[in-house]
Amino acid sequence: MPGLRRLYAPERVAVRTDPRGAPLLVEGVTVEAVREEWLVEDRWWTPQPLRRHYFELAIADGRALTVFRAAGAQRWYRQRA
Amino acid sequence: MYVELHAHSAFSFLDGASTPTELAAAAASHGYPAFALTDHDGVWGSMEFAHACKGFGVHPITGAELTVREGERDRHVTLLVEDETGYRNLCRLLTLAHSHTRDNTPRSQTQPWATLEQVEEHAEGLVCLSGCARDGAVAGAFERDDTAAGERLARRLLAAFGRERFRIELQRPYWRRDRARNRWLALLAERLDIACVAAGNVHSHDRRRAPLQDALVAIGLCETLEESEPLRRGNSTSALTSPGAMAARFAEYPEAVAETERIAVRLRFDLTEQLGYRYPGSEDPGADAELARVCNHHLGERYSGNARLLEAQWRLEEELATIRKLGLSGFFLLHRDLLELAREVAAEVRGPESARGVLPPGRGRGSSVSSIVCYLTGLSHVDPVEADLFSGRFLNEETTSMPDIDLDFPRDIREVLIPRVHERYGREHSALVAAFPTYRPKGAVRDLGKALGLPAEEIDKVAKTVGFFEGAEEIERNLAAALGPERAQEPRWRALLPLAAEIMGLPRHSSQHPGGMVISTRPLIDVCPVVPAAMAGRQTVQWDKDSCADAGFLKIDLLGLGMLSAVERCVEEVGQARDERLDLSRIPLDDEEVYESIRAAETTGVFQIESRAQMQMLPRTQPRDLDDVIVQVALVRPGPIQGGAIHPYIERRKALREDPEFEIPYEHPLLEPVLEETLGTIVFQEQVIEVAMALSGFSSSEAEGLRRAMSRKRSEEAIREHHQRFFAGAAANGVSEETAERVWDQIKGFSGFGFPKAHSAAFGLLAYQSAWLRIHYGPEFLCSLLNEQPMGFYPPDSLVHEAQRRGIRVAPVDANRSRVLCHVESPRSEDVRGGLQVRVGLGYVKGVKKEEMEALVAERERGGPYKGIAELASRSGAGLPSLEKLAWAGALDGIPVGSEDDRREALWRVGVAAAGRLGGSGTQLALPMEPPAPPELEPLGEWGRLIADYRSTGMTVEKHPMKLLRPDLDPKLARTSDLTELEHGSTVEVAGLVTARQRPETANGITFLLLEDERGAVNLVVPPPVFDRHRPLVRNAPLLRARGRLERREGTVNVVVADLAPLQRTAQPPPRVPPSRQLAVAELREVAPAGHSFGRRGR
Repeated sequence: MPGLRRLYAPERVAVRTDPRGAPLLVEGVTVEAVREEWLVEDRWWTPQPLRRHYFELAIADGRALTVFRAAGAQRWYRQRA
Repeated sequence: MYVELHAHSAFSFLDGASTPTELAAAAASHGYPAFALTDHDGVWGSMEFAHACKGFGVHPITGAELTVREGERDRHVTLLVEDETGYRNLCRLLTLAHSHTRDNTPRSQTQPWATLEQVEEHAEGLVCLSGCARDGAVAGAFERDDTAAGERLARRLLAAFGRERFRIELQRPYWRRDRARNRWLALLAERLDIACVAAGNVHSHDRRRAPLQDALVAIGLCETLEESEPLRRGNSTSALTSPGAMAARFAEYPEAVAETERIAVRLRFDLTEQLGYRYPGSEDPGADAELARVCNHHLGERYSGNARLLEAQWRLEEELATIRKLGLSGFFLLHRDLLELAREVAAEVRGPESARGVLPPGRGRGSSVSSIVCYLTGLSHVDPVEADLFSGRFLNEETTSMPDIDLDFPRDIREVLIPRVHERYGREHSALVAAFPTYRPKGAVRDLGKALGLPAEEIDKVAKTVGFFEGAEEIERNLAAALGPERAQEPRWRALLPLAAEIMGLPRHSSQHPGGMVISTRPLIDVCPVVPAAMAGRQTVQWDKDSCADAGFLKIDLLGLGMLSAVERCVEEVGQARDERLDLSRIPLDDEEVYESIRAAETTGVFQIESRAQMQMLPRTQPRDLDDVIVQVALVRPGPIQGGAIHPYIERRKALREDPEFEIPYEHPLLEPVLEETLGTIVFQEQVIEVAMALSGFSSSEAEGLRRAMSRKRSEEAIREHHQRFFAGAAANGVSEETAERVWDQIKGFSGFGFPKAHSAAFGLLAYQSAWLRIHYGPEFLCSLLNEQPMGFYPPDSLVHEAQRRGIRVAPVDANRSRVLCHVESPRSEDVRGGLQVRVGLGYVKGVKKEEMEALVAERERGGPYKGIAELASRSGAGLPSLEKLAWAGALDGIPVGSEDDRREALWRVGVAAAGRLGGSGTQLALPMEPPAPPELEPLGEWGRLIADYRSTGMTVEKHPMKLLRPDLDPKLARTSDLTELEHGSTVEVAGLVTARQRPETANGITFLLLEDERGAVNLVVPPPVFDRHRPLVRNAPLLRARGRLERREGTVNVVVADLAPLQRTAQPPPRVPPSRQLAVAELREVAPAGHSFGRRGR
């Protein structure tokens, strides 16, 4: 519908990971700590199943970020809280 | 190494998604040395789990996740059993947790919970983990940001269980606050100076079950998957994974992982060996002598002068010796004690003057009927010597579980007996056995469909097209037929299909076994939790019959048998209508008229041999005596059918009739002695044992082991072992490999799903007695069948039509003549002329209040017949809703006011005269003043009355609907009576009411329909392609038209259907059909009684 836009839509971010798949760098900034890590697997009964691996990170520039990667994809997104 | 200490099976109802056996097998394949099952508030699956684990070489740990209520909040703790005291405490805690779950209304169960104080009192012998991540007693407080409360609770639990037996439980469900929560829990453990322990909170044995686990949670909450999102687990990490993967998951807490193993080492309690159960009388030193005394006393009575006295004495001595050796004398005396109790109850229920007084309180069934000890102690009514019954299946020296003694009682006696047993042995010492209704396709479609948010109408359509007993694959086949190809591709319907396949066979909730009771010397609540049942005053243990058998519990089956009730009612009815007292134990067993009716398959309503399949067989097997009837009862069972016994048996009987010198072609001469009575085929369960003994030299207990292995699903490996042993033994006896293979195939096909001969003997006798009553006391027999519904193969409407075709008169419900139940009006009643007739009872009118009908009858008996509708409304006290229903049913037609036989006028008068209307200043009382004459109303007419009959009573005693419809139907349609005249192989078209549907597993996809018209009934055989074209019609249509090939063979008539259609009037109705009749078929379709549907009967 014209005029409507989705709030808090995830944004693409560049993430480099360690061999286990945990983020090391986000947009070139070093990850200081992984504060939480969780999985969402839902809506498997619909044509758009959801499978996301989330990380709540503290990065070197002092920001706290939540990023996720969709299962089976290499792209990372930043989830705006 | 990591050991799992927190896992849920499907016995965490609507939460766990795998069976205990699946969990045990998966634990073994992942290499777990030990594994704990901790279902919600129960040990329902623990016995199955313990046995499965031991079979896989895994140490089973028994436990439960207990709900603890503190204040208004319910929290979970994980309890694990360390020793026998701990197990006793767990059982008592679970019993306490469930004790209040039926306090509101017995039918609505509330959440079980125990108080914290109760947990503190029962802590000994249990290891307590602080509970799961979301709802755990301690971790849950963190989730609610109330860490102070969590710490307080942890300290109380620490004080109760001590430093050795209380641990802080860490879980990693991959939720957003996992790390923060575990950090807080680890710090708390440090402050308390106790160890943390890791746990997986497993909910399925495999990650692929995660969607089903989601769906189960939604079903449990009665919500859709979308709505239940906050309470679902959110991902698949609650599936069982390897110890290595679990250790990696808790990489930050290696000590918590190591602690799992340290705790597991301490939890050595073995549920399979340490129960300590004993039954009353098991330790009585005088039991052997007492049992021998009782038996010998009755032996003298029963066999005095009998030519087989010596044989009976020999059998008795042999059985008593076996019983002594097994230490089971107390077991038999306990059963006898129960029977004496039943005798008291029967006398009370029947009343002192009852014609039923001469009948025993109940009858034996099952393999125990083969025992002479059971016969002499009154536990069986069949003389096993006379009937040549083999008792090895019931009792042998190497038996590993308690023998089964099953007793059948009329329903009314059983209802009183069960609570009386609780009273006799104490509520702490007796309880019913549990049963677990498991998912079948219909329930799967309904529950999963709702969870997936599918439209209710679609769910209903699809659910109606699948048979109760069929596999989940049927759902997929039916989807397109029910919804059309486009909707069948809807993603949610596609998602339902794999879920339905997985959910099949999982338990949905707990229920009670029909009559199995457990009695214990020790309080039962020390050996298995006891919970209130849905029926007031009853309680069940948490184990089903298999777990009870594995536990070595003495299970006594007090079963309700509808036909036994019907037979007793019939005896009572005969007493009242004819003033005759029948003693069924003395009726002649060689009544030729009875056997003629059986041979002609005129057996509607007769116990066991009334079904469509039996009726097909009776004219071909031609039973001539009670022994033949006993074989007949056992013949139509999955065992003989799959074992290939049916056709050889029929053919050989025919050959013997034609040539008495015909030689039976036995597979091997060794089998002749054991298969002689069934003409070389395996019909009875014992014959599996006897064949294995005769052909392969099995001992009786080895052969019983083979039979048991075949009757249980879990025993593939055991069957393989028996197979090798069978072939080796056969070869040693000089039997060729091919012959051994053929006989093995027969045994395997039989697979235990057949009757023991003893059971058939008991049921065969009841079948004969019911056939005898049907022939000699037809009205009373019909009356008792109508009063005992639901039972048997046919709906009441069919029973009535069939009886009417035999000349039995059935009179409609009548407020001035009917009682609450149906009854037989005798010639001695002044208002009945010309003989006996069955009068339909007021209780048959749907929706009337029983107490109002009782009051109506009592007032009529006190003050005489009702002379008008106003008088009826005033005197009887019945309210308007009941009176309206009586009017519609025609029950007021006989009241002498207004035009006779006009229900509309009666309805109008009732509306004016009855009480119950709210007026300006209260409820208007009914006054005995006849209302003014009604306006002119169009009479209902024959068709209108028929529809009203079906709508209000589910049956009609007037003209058959097909008789009324016939003038409007295609004249090409044959009547069922024409079929015996038409040429075999000709194409015929028939139409009628579908009275029964059957799709046996053993029939390779063929569906059978019984179609009834005004002349009789015919069996329609619907082959799979026709079924596939017309699924909804075959499944649901009450009125059908079928075209097919007529098959007449050896007295049986079938139509093999080529095409089906809903019954319609002819395209151009004759001009004389009034417009109101043109809706006739559609109206009838709405109200016609649903035919009975049968699937895998006997499974």
